[in-house]
Amino acid sequence: MALRRRSLLTAGVGVGVGVAALAGCGGGRGGAPDLARAAEVPRGEVTVRWWSFPMATGDGRDLRTLLIDAFRRHHPTITVETVDAPAVTDVSRAVLATAVAGGAASPDLYLGDVAWPAQFAHNALALPLDSVVGAGYWDAYPEPLVRAVGHAGDSYAFPFYVDQAYLYYRRDLLDRHGLAVPGSWEELAEAVRVVTRAGDAEYGLAFQGAVYEGLTANVAEFVADAGGAILDEEGTRVTLGGRSGERALTFLRDLVADGVAPRAVGTFREQDSTDAFVGGRALFLRNWAYVWGVVEAPDSPVAGRVGAVPRPGFADGAAAGHGCLGGWCNFVNPHSEQPGAAVAFARFCAEEEAQVIMMRNTSYLPALTAVRAGAEARRSSTPVLAAADEVRLVARPTGTPHYPQVSKALATHVNTLLTGGATPAEALAHARDGIAAALEGTAL
Amino acid sequence: MSAPSLTRQRARVGWFLTLPALVVVAAVTIFPVAYSVAISFTRVGLTYDGLRVEDWTLSNYATMLGSSAWREALVFTLGYTVVTVAVELVLGIAVAVLLDRLEVGRGWLLALLLIPWSMITVVSAQLWGYLYNATYGAVTWGLGLLLDEPPVILGTPAPAITAMAVADIWKTTPFVAVIVLAGLVRIPAERYEAAEVDGAGAWRTFVSVVLPALRPVVAVAVLFRVLQAFGIFDLPFVLTQGGPGTATQSLAMLGYRALFHDLDMGMGAAVATATGLLVLGCCLLFLRVFRSHVDEAGEGGAT
Repeated sequence: MALRRRSLLTAGVGVGVGVAALAGCGGGRGGAPDLARAAEVPRGEVTVRWWSFPMATGDGRDLRTLLIDAFRRHHPTITVETVDAPAVTDVSRAVLATAVAGGAASPDLYLGDVAWPAQFAHNALALPLDSVVGAGYWDAYPEPLVRAVGHAGDSYAFPFYVDQAYLYYRRDLLDRHGLAVPGSWEELAEAVRVVTRAGDAEYGLAFQGAVYEGLTANVAEFVADAGGAILDEEGTRVTLGGRSGERALTFLRDLVADGVAPRAVGTFREQDSTDAFVGGRALFLRNWAYVWGVVEAPDSPVAGRVGAVPRPGFADGAAAGHGCLGGWCNFVNPHSEQPGAAVAFARFCAEEEAQVIMMRNTSYLPALTAVRAGAEARRSSTPVLAAADEVRLVARPTGTPHYPQVSKALATHVNTLLTGGATPAEALAHARDGIAAALEGTAL
Repeated sequence: MSAPSLTRQRARVGWFLTLPALVVVAAVTIFPVAYSVAISFTRVGLTYDGLRVEDWTLSNYATMLGSSAWREALVFTLGYTVVTVAVELVLGIAVAVLLDRLEVGRGWLLALLLIPWSMITVVSAQLWGYLYNATYGAVTWGLGLLLDEPPVILGTPAPAITAMAVADIWKTTPFVAVIVLAGLVRIPAERYEAAEVDGAGAWRTFVSVVLPALRPVVAVAVLFRVLQAFGIFDLPFVLTQGGPGTATQSLAMLGYRALFHDLDMGMGAAVATATGLLVLGCCLLFLRVFRSHVDEAGEGGAT
């Protein structure tokens, strides 16, 4: 306790000045990545490390092993080692961003969220790919996905699998009351009234309303249903607002106010909403395609009594069938010492052979249009795969490098609306202001 | 004592011997802190060459001070700190006094009490999350027996803040109790006897004898708790993610998000620096006020 204040202060200032000088110098590693090397598959024995997570196949194996084995039949000199990523997306991003920003050469390629490309491109965390594969390469993928992996005139990630939202419904309960699968939100609300009044379900529609990215996805869909969008195509201007914004937010508020959605929906994330549906409390569920595997699992109480269709739309609104675009892509580390091998593997995973392996062995939805919309997919007994190409993919406002702040502003204010703390008009105005500030980079 | 030259020589040897430790401390504490402070005055760009300072600027602080998110987080963090620390202090002292009087089983009870404290916050927060869950949570169910329409605990601001405070108090009251107990057992029996001789009742003894003697340990307990409560992160991170709206977003969460979600190094550092200064200021103020009290009581002084 006898530390003299002045000496402490002097030391602090001294170190501070030293640090400032150091910070000015920068890291001094690398420079712009060598794109010509990235376009060439190396000849000798090389090893690349793939930051990824286990993906279960139907018979309990790991999809990664299948893909690596298939890849090595074409490139026997390239060894692919897997590095397990943290299970939580945001944690994965934090770890990756710190490693790659610090100039780490490993992992050589990494699985990242389809929401990341703009932010990662802006912060020099991903290799630009257009000159490596040719700009025409991306024509084989759905257009919203191509826009999602692009930023400022280049592309930054190879598509891997797509996740997209569906409306899950309890077929048995609809049948019992002689109701059809709702074609519009108005019909859905009516069906909920009939079934909950009869006491056959506690809730109508479960979705994700907590303060997080999942709510952003839900809002993006409802805004698209109403004919609007959150940002313009370049991701530089707020377009949320006007009649479409008001309609989407008013509808969301009414879902809770009229008891169509549970009051607790403001605390729901994917798992909570799935629990409500699988536990038999909810008649409808908006959730991602992967949830099909959860509701149809052998231990699921509702297995065999569930259907999934593309989301409905408003009776008099824009087109129906919007579903938020999610999923994961392979990014190449700009500091990789084997960019050619990393690109070769990421590219392999995005192309037909790997995409077909994925479709046949797992419940992940392929990204390649030819596979998604192909005859084999459409014949599938899994509705989320059979209808994959029917869903009109809606991107979250990921076109801006400030997407996390944009998403936070939107989710925060819509959550306040859902929990009764604001009117739709107030929430809309606040969300617009928050998003505008986020786009200028002055949001916190 | 001894000649000044000898003192100086000893001091030199002392510095020499502690130098390695000081270097380590500087490397792992002072350098990162100073670096972070420096970064907070910059606009940093991430490039293929690593971190590049694009601009030295005060704009991070200007944006932060002008942002409602920061002000709300500040109010929440301050209020949360004051309330939880106060409640923990009162409960902790009560528990400690009880334990002090206990003739048998004190060790067992102490061990039992420490279970919440020994639990990792992420785990206990997850458990509280189950209890508060709006669909199947036990607390929601219990409230449903009392109220017609139980609140959606983590989905409504006031209940969510209360629920978080309860989880915090449950976890850290034992910590305060243990520290206070250590102070209690050091009060010499003569003082109680003297108080009795002077005709003081139980309450009077507690206020005039026990509390003043406890000041130094209470100061330590409060200091630790303020430091911890001010930096609260894991509890809201797991329980509410800062929601509903921004009702439970602490300063630490705000800084973490700016840094690791938004990858805005300068802003994250600015929030961290401001939080650090605030908590430093609070602690210094608290120590000054408390130390003068302690000195009056004739207990403190020596360092």
